[in-house]
Amino acid sequence: MTLTRRHFVAGGAAAVLAGGSGCTKADVAAAKRWFGKPAAPALPKTLTPPAAAEIDWPMHVLNRLTFGARPGDHARVTAMGAEAFIAEQLAPARIDDDACARVIRHEFESLADPESTLFPRQDDAKDPLAQLFPAMKDKGARVGHLYEYKEKVLLEDLTRATLLRAVLSERQLFEVMVQFWSDHFNIDPSKADAKWLKAADDRDVIRAHALGRFRDLLRASAVSPAMLWYLDGRVNRKGKPEDRPNENYARELLELHTLGVHGGYTQQDVIETARCLTGWTVRDRKKFFRGRVEFQPRQHDDGPKRVLGTEIPAGLGARDLDRVLEILTAHPATARHLAEKLCRRFIADEPPAAAVAATASAFAQSGGSIPATLRALFATPEFKAPEYRGTKFKRPFHFVVSALRAANAETDAGKPVIDHLLRLGHAPFRYATPDGYPETATHWRNGLLWRWNFAAALAENRIKGTRVEPAELQRRLGGEAALMATVLGRTPTAAERAAFAESEAGLALLVASPGFQYA
Amino acid sequence: MTTQAVITGNGDERRTLVTVFLRGAADGLALVPPTADDHYHRARPRLGIKPGAAVKLDERFGLHPRLAPLAGAWAEGQLAIVHACGTEDQTRSHFEAQDLMEHGGVVAGGWLGRWLQTRPPERRGALACVAVGKALPECLLGAPAATVMQSLDEFAIGGKAPRFGSQLERLYAMERGELGAAARDTFAALARIEAMRTTAYRAADGAAYGRDEFSAGLAQLARLIKADVGLEAASIDLGGWDSHIAQEGQVETLAGRLAAGLDAFRRDLGPRLATTTIVVMTEFGRTVEENSAFGTDHGRGSALFVLGGGVRGGRVHGAWHGLAPEGLERRGVLEGYGDLPVWNNYRDVLAPVLARHGADAAALAKVFPEWELKPLAGMYG
Repeated sequence: MTLTRRHFVAGGAAAVLAGGSGCTKADVAAAKRWFGKPAAPALPKTLTPPAAAEIDWPMHVLNRLTFGARPGDHARVTAMGAEAFIAEQLAPARIDDDACARVIRHEFESLADPESTLFPRQDDAKDPLAQLFPAMKDKGARVGHLYEYKEKVLLEDLTRATLLRAVLSERQLFEVMVQFWSDHFNIDPSKADAKWLKAADDRDVIRAHALGRFRDLLRASAVSPAMLWYLDGRVNRKGKPEDRPNENYARELLELHTLGVHGGYTQQDVIETARCLTGWTVRDRKKFFRGRVEFQPRQHDDGPKRVLGTEIPAGLGARDLDRVLEILTAHPATARHLAEKLCRRFIADEPPAAAVAATASAFAQSGGSIPATLRALFATPEFKAPEYRGTKFKRPFHFVVSALRAANAETDAGKPVIDHLLRLGHAPFRYATPDGYPETATHWRNGLLWRWNFAAALAENRIKGTRVEPAELQRRLGGEAALMATVLGRTPTAAERAAFAESEAGLALLVASPGFQYA
Repeated sequence: MTTQAVITGNGDERRTLVTVFLRGAADGLALVPPTADDHYHRARPRLGIKPGAAVKLDERFGLHPRLAPLAGAWAEGQLAIVHACGTEDQTRSHFEAQDLMEHGGVVAGGWLGRWLQTRPPERRGALACVAVGKALPECLLGAPAATVMQSLDEFAIGGKAPRFGSQLERLYAMERGELGAAARDTFAALARIEAMRTTAYRAADGAAYGRDEFSAGLAQLARLIKADVGLEAASIDLGGWDSHIAQEGQVETLAGRLAAGLDAFRRDLGPRLATTTIVVMTEFGRTVEENSAFGTDHGRGSALFVLGGGVRGGRVHGAWHGLAPEGLERRGVLEGYGDLPVWNNYRDVLAPVLARHGADAAALAKVFPEWELKPLAGMYG
């Protein structure tokens, strides 16, 4: 499929495919489907539901590595072995995800990587990114087109695409990690030019490196145009002697992105880090080459610096950036901080110390390989321990996506679903401060009413653009008990069976029940 | 001891902050005219509010005649005003100015949302934050869980199956720990709202809400506050203030709605006003001079109102230097009076209000980062 919506707007392309101007609505619908309209994926042949009274090992792995099991997933993972499933998810490039990719390509022109650009590419010799990080060259030329869109369109597209990918993608762990890093390197696009540039950050930073190497992820984030806006790196300069560096990004870089708040750095380290980063800026929307990242040597403080006890000699210019990021990536506090956050996400709100230590050690030994770190985490006895199974309170996004997946819903991820996420306080890209949406249950228990109402609206097909067929699903699964076990990930308790029977609310009650709030 | 103390379990009385945004740039010099200032009448020969027509506030200012219903709150010391208030930014674009003011500067998220984020998690109940209207306003961006509502009817357990709610309650009753407690709180709040819904609402004696949307929204908020559902912050808009042409009628209508709504809300809340604050703000004011079309154009400073518990009302707070042309703000080489400057930054006015609602210095630094706060002194005793 080489056509893009950039060249053919949806209706026009559909009309062309349907053979000209005399096409009917049905033709257009058929053409749209051919492009890849979001649809409920076909159910697999084997739909055997979980048979244990407690969450078993395959179910646990599905609960934690994915945004929720779809009907048949438990049977598939049981058959292939949970360890094989983990290995499969850690290598997303080898998982065929064409169906999801086609939907995203079709639905979201704005998120496509532009094949050509309006503006000439920057001469490599003049591009500081190409000089420092050859893999990142031409980034500037690849963001300008975003300004052609209304910022509301970009935010809506990004939000919908995030939800659709979480629901549809076979690369579930990858999507889980995209969410993890989106929180870790949180950018609220409501600030200034980040309105347009967050889409590039999502593409070139988060999704490009979600299961790659932390060093690359950190580098990409440090020179992400949206981040330069969001944390004021663009105005961190030392042009005149009286200029004081803007410490905003440097502080969050140490506190949130790398070492952690108790990572042993001082205020002087923050200042020295900020000095290293002076001169990096981004062109605003009133200039040519808007959104392009630049290094302005005259705004750079080129004196010697000392960060966390390591000397950075004078005169390195733009290369200060790489030096300081190396120091931070290799620091043991970074390994520990990331390990703790990962264990909090994948094991428990109060992560067990032994698992954190093992994960931190894997991070350090692998030079910051994210898959190697996760592989070690998933191999810890704590991750496997039955006591932690079914105890992670789902954050609202996880709750909503797991319900859509469990019910095998067809969804366009349109405004009506997003409105539920907004009401639940967890729509993507709506978190103001750089610490990202909180992870632990404490922050999320109070939205129960809106969880219950989402459950009812979903089960009763009152969310426009989203459709479930609970009766058909129950028939395919082989009855009420099978539906309950599929949704809950274990056989229901006597109380759940009684409530299910007496309420006559079926799927709504299951999704709203206490058991479904946990993974 | 209120029932609220029982619900939140912390023995602390909950306070509610309501922001009213007058969209379109309300003319502070019509709402709170400096009637004693000759320059005012010279700059507005046709539109100026004559001293005899205005409700006299003090030696300097009066109230627009249609704001007369607020005279009671003023006399009882519940209403304070800050004049020449606004943002330091020079933009005269409605959209940009509203955005900046609601965000609290070039900052991500809204100031009210960031404030709510500093609140302890146990205060973030299902109904802690409500926006009356169709969409979440920018000031609430980043709130932990904000609810956009047009009617109280939205606070109910949906679902067609009649026993959905009761069976849920049964299942959650078996939950120990904090999830069970959160569910019980939710069912308790729903029961109170249900009780309200099934009884026709009678506002407290003397509260005469208007028939417009603004009054209707305030009445819903008053019900929520009185029902102790844990409302910490709410927002509501009153738009349509962009009065470039023949503004008298336009301002009269809107001022009438504003005053009727606010006064009814105040009376309806009764003793609960002591734990409630209403802040009325707008993105910028209007030119000191009237234009040839009997209107006014985009200016800078405007008036901000604070109504509620604890405020030192009955006085105009903050800096005021009169309308002598040399003290006003010039745009280019324009002749005449120019604009009323912003002598009182809105953040410095909001800071003591937020402090009243529990924000300490650390919280204020998060709400208004990159702004050196000089909280307006004397607003609270």
